[in-house]
Amino acid sequence: MSRRTMMKTVGLGTAGLAVPGLVAGCSSGGGGRTSIVLEETKPEVIPYFNNLVAKFNASQKSVSVTHDSSSSLIAAFVRGNPPDIDCDNYNLTTSIFVARGVLADLASLPQAQTIEPNIQALVTQYASYKGETSVLPYSVAAEGVIYNVDLFDKVGVSAVPTTLTEFLAVCEKFKSAGITPVYQTYGDTWTTQQGLFDYTVGGMIDVAGFYKQLGAAGTNLGPNSSVSFEKDFTEPCKKMLSLAPYFNDNAISKHYADGNTAFAAGQAGMYMQGPWAVGQVLAINPKVKMGTFPLPATDDASQTKCRANLDLAIWLPRSQGSAQRAAAIEFLGYLMQPSVVNAYNQANLAFSPLKGAPPQTSPLVSGLQKYVSSGAFYQGAGTYVPLTIPVGNFIQEMMLTGNVSGFTSSMDGAFKRLAIRTSA
Amino acid sequence: MTATSAPAGRNPLRMLKNLFFPVAPAYLLMIIPAIVLFTFFIIYPTIQGMFYSFTNFVGYGTFHSIGFANYKAAFSDPTIRDSYGFTLLFAVVACIFTNVVALAIAIALNAKIKWRSGLRTIFFMPMVLSGLIVSYIFTFIISTSVPIISAAIHFAPLESNILANQHLAWLGVVFVASWVAIPGAIIIFLAGLTGISTEVYEAVSIDGANVWTTFRRITFPLLFSFLVINTILTFKNFLNVYDVVVGLTGGGPGTATTSVAQTIFSGFFNGDYAYQMANAVIFFLITLFFAVFQLSVIRRRGGGL
Amino acid sequence: MATEVSTTAVVAPRIRTRRPRPVPEGGRINWGLTIIVAIVSLIVILPLYFAIAMALKSPAQTGTGTGFNFPWPIQWGNFRAAWDLTDTPLAASMSLLITLIAVAGEIIVSALAAWAIVRNWGHWQFRATFGYLMIALFIPFPVVALPQVKLMSAIGLDNPFGVAILHIMFNLAFNVLLFSAFIRGIPVELEESARLDGCSTWQTFRRIVLPLLAPISATVGIFAFLQSWNDFMMPRLITSNPKFQTLPVVQYLFQDQFTTNINVAFASYLMALLPTLVAFLIAQRWVVSGIMRGSIK
Repeated sequence: MSRRTMMKTVGLGTAGLAVPGLVAGCSSGGGGRTSIVLEETKPEVIPYFNNLVAKFNASQKSVSVTHDSSSSLIAAFVRGNPPDIDCDNYNLTTSIFVARGVLADLASLPQAQTIEPNIQALVTQYASYKGETSVLPYSVAAEGVIYNVDLFDKVGVSAVPTTLTEFLAVCEKFKSAGITPVYQTYGDTWTTQQGLFDYTVGGMIDVAGFYKQLGAAGTNLGPNSSVSFEKDFTEPCKKMLSLAPYFNDNAISKHYADGNTAFAAGQAGMYMQGPWAVGQVLAINPKVKMGTFPLPATDDASQTKCRANLDLAIWLPRSQGSAQRAAAIEFLGYLMQPSVVNAYNQANLAFSPLKGAPPQTSPLVSGLQKYVSSGAFYQGAGTYVPLTIPVGNFIQEMMLTGNVSGFTSSMDGAFKRLAIRTSA
Repeated sequence: MTATSAPAGRNPLRMLKNLFFPVAPAYLLMIIPAIVLFTFFIIYPTIQGMFYSFTNFVGYGTFHSIGFANYKAAFSDPTIRDSYGFTLLFAVVACIFTNVVALAIAIALNAKIKWRSGLRTIFFMPMVLSGLIVSYIFTFIISTSVPIISAAIHFAPLESNILANQHLAWLGVVFVASWVAIPGAIIIFLAGLTGISTEVYEAVSIDGANVWTTFRRITFPLLFSFLVINTILTFKNFLNVYDVVVGLTGGGPGTATTSVAQTIFSGFFNGDYAYQMANAVIFFLITLFFAVFQLSVIRRRGGGL
Repeated sequence: MATEVSTTAVVAPRIRTRRPRPVPEGGRINWGLTIIVAIVSLIVILPLYFAIAMALKSPAQTGTGTGFNFPWPIQWGNFRAAWDLTDTPLAASMSLLITLIAVAGEIIVSALAAWAIVRNWGHWQFRATFGYLMIALFIPFPVVALPQVKLMSAIGLDNPFGVAILHIMFNLAFNVLLFSAFIRGIPVELEESARLDGCSTWQTFRRIVLPLLAPISATVGIFAFLQSWNDFMMPRLITSNPKFQTLPVVQYLFQDQFTTNINVAFASYLMALLPTLVAFLIAQRWVVSGIMRGSIK
């Protein structure tokens, strides 16, 4: 009997704890406000957006926004209750929402006209739906080679390398000084994929054009098609492997956190990472002085481009109640005011997608500004690969075994099989 | 089995009674609602999932039927083939390892040792942690602590992180997955062991049997059904390994430790749902095959013992 | 044939006979075995100590040494940070709500079903039902995940209650397996004598069978508690309102590869451990005492 009474008390106690939470969740914004949900999950900027949402809620009386950062978008669409407005990373997986037509067309919004066209193009490079404007860019992240300014001075490098020869020379200087030129963390496949792989490939071929033709080749992909991984990726991959002597020996055991720690401790001169890592490194060692330059994969400086991606982009779901749609558009209007967009990007080491936006002044990433301004950027080759193909793992295997043809034939085979079943 | 007579007025019960004569209605009430709900919440979605494997559905939006295209592609996909290879090897080895170790520990915990309940509690502890958290703990231990300690005591094989080794990483997965599974297996074995009366052991020891003979002639046959349950269940659970692989190696290095469940789930989150549903159906059939195979082998052997 | 063997192996817990407990009472303690077991137990203790140490360190302390170094100074702040960041009280009460409903439901539903099946084993329909459940035991979760998400949303159960119901249904097969194995060891005579005294089927179950099922109920209960409490995938997919999310899902925030606050994450895991430990220690007493009772012939 005592077991039963204990169970009862625990049960009641739980219900007592849970009820206030449940009731609180039921209430609407209070006082006739339309409440909508903003889904934004980038961990580093959750407090920033909490702040923006609070300011917006306080500034007007008709809309109440709740900021959620933990739901699964796919599950939400499956359930049929997607967020009212989403501001998240735009990648190939998110582009499936575009391709399947579940996002609203934002072309008629005035904000759509304020976006720089070659940045809007980043959206359609992955997918588009009947020519609609399904996604509005909000923040462009640019990535290149992060370098330690003090260590550059120490080994006598006065200017960032703009050609491959100059880059190799810098590596040699570090090697003779006994410092690891570039720190790699093969243990986390995404770091090699977005860094070494994307930078080398992007600097040597037209990535967007390649994938467009790859898609067109479809099931005919092979030795006879106009493009293939074997034809176009062999040279870049060989170049990647040729840089291996300049990496740390134990790269396979190292993960992202190890890389940040090592770079912060001055154990390497360069680090192929994005602005997200900069914050992590500074958190470990605030005294590190860093800059970024795009990896020059060829000896033609005019060909050098930097990697870019839509770190944040806004969309609305197509099926939405009219009150929620109006409220979401109002909130979108607030978010996309130039002052808000530009302030966000400046504060977060990113680049604003708006026409005529002020340049990014932080020395940590300003080295990439001219490339972003002139449109000399590409979306990483690895980002065009559907997640069903474990390209990160393939790259890791290639770096460990040195087998380039194995990599390219895996990729060609995988894409061909993908084409066979998706064209059915 | 006494049949309770239902009053003439209760027609539905009378009909049921005639259908399942002469089962008491109470029993039907205990089982039928459960089975109906079970069918609705589990079986019906399973059939739906199987249906989707013949389409290009991603979970939302429009889709259309594509026949067997997903299945044909699955059979020629080296990533899927490799994941089955790894998963099967892993499941067999982990199943044997887990059951042998759990049985040994259970026998030890059932013997006359000091601090018996305290030691039992310790061995049950790993159960309270989720597989994912255990993996995070072991990732650090295996990749950082073990190499440092091995270097200090000059134990060469473990000086480099085995999780970074394409050919040895699966051993790390076996160890961690077993670490999580052994407590549950110990509980089941202990339940069986304590059912074996001590009189039996005393009688045998008077007759002069040694430890091994005792085990082979007495303990093992009486534990048999529990071994059956444990083998089938642990094998099924290991076939479905997901948390440990994702937490420990992420499926790497390369694709060396990518499990079938991991591949299937990735399809759900990566917009390749229907394709992986075909994979899942194949996986279900393989799992069933192994269960039936194990049962038939064990029955034949059980008769022989 | 395998099931027949179990009837003889699982001894009926006769609660009335009393015999001296077969616990070592002075002498005859196998010290050698004790030492071996104690050493083997290190394999369990060390990783747990590691987790505790991680929760008490700062990122700087984590980067050095083997990881087994004692955390000093102790960063109690990690717990505070974890508590705030994951809104532990609400998430924990959600987890607890689901878990308690699931555990209670699983025990009752499965015990009833198992008893009905075992007591009517002579009828093919019941044997077939058992086989039906056993086949369903092997359905991999990924197969049903997405259709279940749609289904629960369509019938308005995309909330913690829906998750609890799914837990009950998912574990029905396994629990029925455990309960039925145990029930086969309970002599039918006990129930028949109850019926002769005039008990109905329900009363027989409630008065005679259910108390006898205590040890296996505790076992099923503890398995159910752990599976429900630690479940990450199902609540994440099924529950639509993020406010009602469970603790493991909320802790998932820490697993994003772009954050390195491992120490706070471990502090959060340890806090999540506490209810499980409590439930576990309580249930373990019953399991052990039930096992002890069962061993007395």
